Amino acid sequence: MRIVIAEDAAIMRDGLTQTLTRRGHDVVAAVGDAATLRQAVEDHRPDVAIIDVRMPPTHTDEGLRAATAIHRDFPEIGVLVFSQYVEAHAATELFASAPTGVGYLLKDRVADVSDFIDAITRVAQGGTVLDPEVVRQLLGAGRRADSLAALTPREREVLSLVAQGRSNAAIAGALVISPKVVEKHVANIFDKLGLAPSETDNRRVIAAITYLGS
Amino acid sequence: MNTYPERVLQQVYAWTRGHPRVADGTLALVLLASSANQIPDHLVFMVGAIAVNVLLATTVALRRRDPTAAFAAGAVIVAAQLAGGLGAGGYPSLGLTATDLAIVVLLYTLAAYRPRRTSVTGLAVCMAGAAIAIGRYAPLHGPRAGAVLLLTIAAVGVTLLAAWVLGDAAAYRRAYYVSLQQRLTAAERARDLEEKRARAVDASAARLRRIERDLHDGAQVRLAALALALGEIKENLEQADDAPTLALVSSAHQNAKEALTELRDLARGIHPPVLDQGLRPALTILAETSAIPFALTVEVTERPSPAIEAIAYFCTAELLANAAKHSAAAHVAIDVREQDTGLLRLAVTDDGVGGARVAAGGGLAGLLERVHTVDGRLDVKSPAGGPTTITIELPRHA
Repeated sequence: MRIVIAEDAAIMRDGLTQTLTRRGHDVVAAVGDAATLRQAVEDHRPDVAIIDVRMPPTHTDEGLRAATAIHRDFPEIGVLVFSQYVEAHAATELFASAPTGVGYLLKDRVADVSDFIDAITRVAQGGTVLDPEVVRQLLGAGRRADSLAALTPREREVLSLVAQGRSNAAIAGALVISPKVVEKHVANIFDKLGLAPSETDNRRVIAAITYLGS
Repeated sequence: MNTYPERVLQQVYAWTRGHPRVADGTLALVLLASSANQIPDHLVFMVGAIAVNVLLATTVALRRRDPTAAFAAGAVIVAAQLAGGLGAGGYPSLGLTATDLAIVVLLYTLAAYRPRRTSVTGLAVCMAGAAIAIGRYAPLHGPRAGAVLLLTIAAVGVTLLAAWVLGDAAAYRRAYYVSLQQRLTAAERARDLEEKRARAVDASAARLRRIERDLHDGAQVRLAALALALGEIKENLEQADDAPTLALVSSAHQNAKEALTELRDLARGIHPPVLDQGLRPALTILAETSAIPFALTVEVTERPSPAIEAIAYFCTAELLANAAKHSAAAHVAIDVREQDTGLLRLAVTDDGVGGARVAAGGGLAGLLERVHTVDGRLDVKSPAGGPTTITIELPRHA
């Protein structure tokens, strides 16, 4: 993959660059602020951009805004935002426009290298990645407690994995159940939530996010 | 603007206040000079009269150094004068003389500078002395003797009383002025302390924000880079056949990840970075983690100071946590708005079981303390059976 990294902390930027390079990826640019990031994306047209939320000058949400703009202007470029803190509303905003090729992860996730690279790959290929912590918050917020109450605990578990962008096979693996059972759970969930079941993982995530974040 | 004569008068008054000894000395000299025409011709009486006049003038000159002693000395001199058979001014007569004014001045001074008990005693002494003098010298026989006696008593009594009243009023005015000064000083001090407190509160908020930034830019980044490196090492070791090292690295990796989580919670507890973007986004994120379904309303046009925003944020966090823990509520409403009074009002209402109260060492007591640091108010309405509404009012600036 051809990757652009935007992260203002040099240690992290270099660490990520080296790790990704060692895993055979091409880090075409590693920058420290949102303006340079925009330039690098325009120049290199990478497969995916990994973007820190807090960057100079104000260290608030420059990264998020830059990511949203890149996602809008270059739909073919995957955008993975990683953040020090979980901000569910930021994630739902990011996913709101066109939830393809987009991801939102807690910064800590870089520690599990293979999972992290797997997430980057999914985003680069047009898939979606949502941090389990965000999903937990959205489900735990109880804003839809009445509707969600209709779900069994197992169905909630499955929904949270669906919302993270996992495939039925991956969910079956994670919960140690057969894919057939997962399919049945997913059908039940969308039935109970009044959502039409669909073929691709992405649509499932769109549905889950739209539903949870509304 | 003061007119020209008023300014001159004010300058004269200021000068007299600044130089009491000179002013009183001048007064004494005037009294002494005006008594000159009352000096008798007979040598013995002349010497006696001059001595009495000079002594009385001296007491007037020193009247403000020690009003009580000056008055006592004046009284003794006049008493001696009476006992010695000298009338006022040296002649056995009732005519008002310049030195008689000395006693009036001394009584005024006593009333103006000494406690009322002392000055009333002085007034009584004067009255008694006057009575003796009148009894001794008043013409008890002759045409209109009764009328003259009555007039004399009235004139002397009114003069002495007037001197005392004027002096007492001056004392009252001075005491009032002093209390005004004290109140002014207290008000200035209060304002000064308020300013200092506001600066301290703002500085403390800014310091917490900086600590969070430093953690974010420093320890958290290094720890994340460390966890990344350990993660890579761990995955590389999984290919090799070195179980003990793998176990060691796995444990280090796990510790680094847990430290990251703890550090993140700590940093967020110090200062949630989203607060920099304002109360609405900060409270939205806070409410998103709430276990109870919520409705959030934020109507604030102009942002309060960062310290106030932080207090409002942490109060909301505590109230949401309380509601989740104790209320068994199905719904919670958070309402933040500006009051017409300029205060920021934060109300958290839940439809739970109620019965919340401020108890020593409890969560609400902690909130109250926090709110009080900026002169805010906290009101708890939580009847048994609910609903619970907790209202906090904060100034927009510390």
